[in-house]
Amino acid sequence: MADANPGRRRSDRSLRLRMFSMLVFRSLTVRGSRIGIALGAILVGAAVVSALTSLYFDISIKMSEELRAFGANVIVTPRSAGQTGGEGTHGIAAETLRAAIGALPQGKIVGASPFLYGVVRLDVANAVLAGVDFQGLRAISPYWQVEGSWVTADFDDRNVMVGRRIAQTMQMKIGSPVTIINRDRTHQVQVRVKGIVDTGGAEDDQVFVNLPLAQRLLDRPDQADLAMLSVIARGGEADALAADLARRFPDIEVRPIRKVSQADGKILDKIEGLMALVATVVLIITILCVNATLTAMVAARTPQIGLQKAIGAGNGSIVAQFMAETTVICVVAVALGLGVGFALAQVLGQAVFGAWVTFRPVVVPLTFGLSFAAALIAAVLPVRGAVRIVPARVLKGE
Amino acid sequence: MTVSNQLTSDATSSRFGSTEQGRMVIDIRGLGKRFGAVAALQDVSFDVQRGEFIAIMGPSGSGKTTLLNILSLLDRPTEGDYHLDGIAVASLTEREQTVIRREKIGLVFQQFHLIPYLSALENVMLAQHYHSVADREEALEALEHVGLAQRRDHLPSQLSGGEQQRVCIARALINAPALILADEPTGNLDADNEGLVMGLLERLRDEGRTIVLVTHNPDLGERTDRIVRLQHGRLAS
Ligand SMILES: Nc1ncnc2c1ncn2[C@@H]1O[C@H](COP(=O)(O)OP(=O)(O)OP(=O)(O)O)[C@@H](O)[C@H]1O
Ligand SMILES: [Mg+2]
Repeated sequence: MADANPGRRRSDRSLRLRMFSMLVFRSLTVRGSRIGIALGAILVGAAVVSALTSLYFDISIKMSEELRAFGANVIVTPRSAGQTGGEGTHGIAAETLRAAIGALPQGKIVGASPFLYGVVRLDVANAVLAGVDFQGLRAISPYWQVEGSWVTADFDDRNVMVGRRIAQTMQMKIGSPVTIINRDRTHQVQVRVKGIVDTGGAEDDQVFVNLPLAQRLLDRPDQADLAMLSVIARGGEADALAADLARRFPDIEVRPIRKVSQADGKILDKIEGLMALVATVVLIITILCVNATLTAMVAARTPQIGLQKAIGAGNGSIVAQFMAETTVICVVAVALGLGVGFALAQVLGQAVFGAWVTFRPVVVPLTFGLSFAAALIAAVLPVRGAVRIVPARVLKGE
Repeated sequence: MTVSNQLTSDATSSRFGSTEQGRMVIDIRGLGKRFGAVAALQDVSFDVQRGEFIAIMGPSGSGKTTLLNILSLLDRPTEGDYHLDGIAVASLTEREQTVIRREKIGLVFQQFHLIPYLSALENVMLAQHYHSVADREEALEALEHVGLAQRRDHLPSQLSGGEQQRVCIARALINAPALILADEPTGNLDADNEGLVMGLLERLRDEGRTIVLVTHNPDLGERTDRIVRLQHGRLAS
């Protein structure tokens, strides 16, 4: 014993850490069943939280994707106050429309197109001419069925798209030449059919050309009749956006178009609260369960804690040990809980929305965070109990 | 200078049972302890010199454990002064007392109090860990010192009472404390093991350690340098 060396270096971090982790893992492995209960409680909590958040985030994202797919959901028209409106005369400056569209938050717009309507003569029959922005039109019309292809360039004066019924009656095919003549017969252009549009709606009787060409043919320079927008907005969001735009641009009227998926948005809004409630309740149960387990664990280990203090463990060491043990349990439980939760999310997704739930990474930190918070709250009282153990009292001889 | 700084340098300079310090390890004056209406100790004064091996004896309930708890800073006196290795310890905060305890005191218990899920060696290393840093080689030497090197990997449940007590002594020794306090260390042992443990304590005394032993056994008391007798919480002369 001659070389007992109490001047051992305190600064040896890695040695201290090794001893500390040995202590933590040994004490965890001796109380298997108790640890199992705490682990199970956190696992269930983490599973429910991750299932609900998976469902929530995924369905939200899918919902806006569906909204995106649904097409135009906001319509902008000139303010009609006091104007009965002679046909083809009352429009808005295309400039105003562009400014209004530009004023929307960038990430919210899926697409937008102005529309200028007028009647023209196609070779032998009359038809409705629609001047559009083809790129925008394509973005807000995902459900259109197009034979041939879309007009891609916005300043393409040579190509047009025609509705299915016009194509049928006039026996047009992709590549057919068409002559468009305005009603005054002052303008005439020769174009080609690039695509045939089938929507089952009014579009089937229209001819689509780019806006500048329509403005020339109809002799309404820089004008448009309305604009259609597709914005990503759920529930009341579309209304809020519309109101905001209308306030900023007094010349125009902005109306959200009611669509079916708004109802889905409302469902999500409603169960959002319910899901938060369920998650909270489950977390509270987790806290109670973990608290009970840790309390029992401290009680069972009272003599050892007393001994540790007697041989020089400070309160900090005791707290650190319990926190480390809780953290280890938590990490294992959350890792397992995330897996179980994802499976649970599939069941819920199928049952409620009839959809598979895609993994969303944000769920992982969220579940970890909430589960750790719950475990820490659960550990406060037991750890305080451990700190308050008085060695002299618990080490007394029987 | 903070207590812990002071202690660190002390511990570094004193390898074991240092004589560089003052001669007095324990110096108590007018010590009293009340538990409500019960006066467990009254006006107890004595001192222990460095290298001394003393026994505290007295009938059950005479206050021996109470006194030892105060000496080991696990409890506070309600009256009187206590200087340990020259430091007035009674007025220190709990945190400071913990530091003093791990630097200066080695404890041996009647019930051994080994951590059940740590091996013999790890139990010794735990005391090193709280003191400074665990050192396997050194802990092994301490086990060798008590004749248990070959049982280093056994859990307390796999050791006999006498062996557990020897591990406990190795743990008490490991940080070269200024003072070893043992409350009836042989109370749970048979005669053979009692002899072994007592022999070990005597050897430690021979190596220069300061030891306070509480015992009921007059034969053991006789083998120490001096006996302090307690009666109803007072020194009996
Ligand atoms: N925590 C306490 N609360 C109240 N009274 C106490 C407490 N601890 C000890 N006492 C009393 O103080 C007196 C001395 O007790 P102590 O344990 O010091 O005796 P002892 O000499 O160690 O006895 P034994 O030989 O049986 O171990 C006893 O009367 C005991 O009842
Ligand atoms: Mg006693």
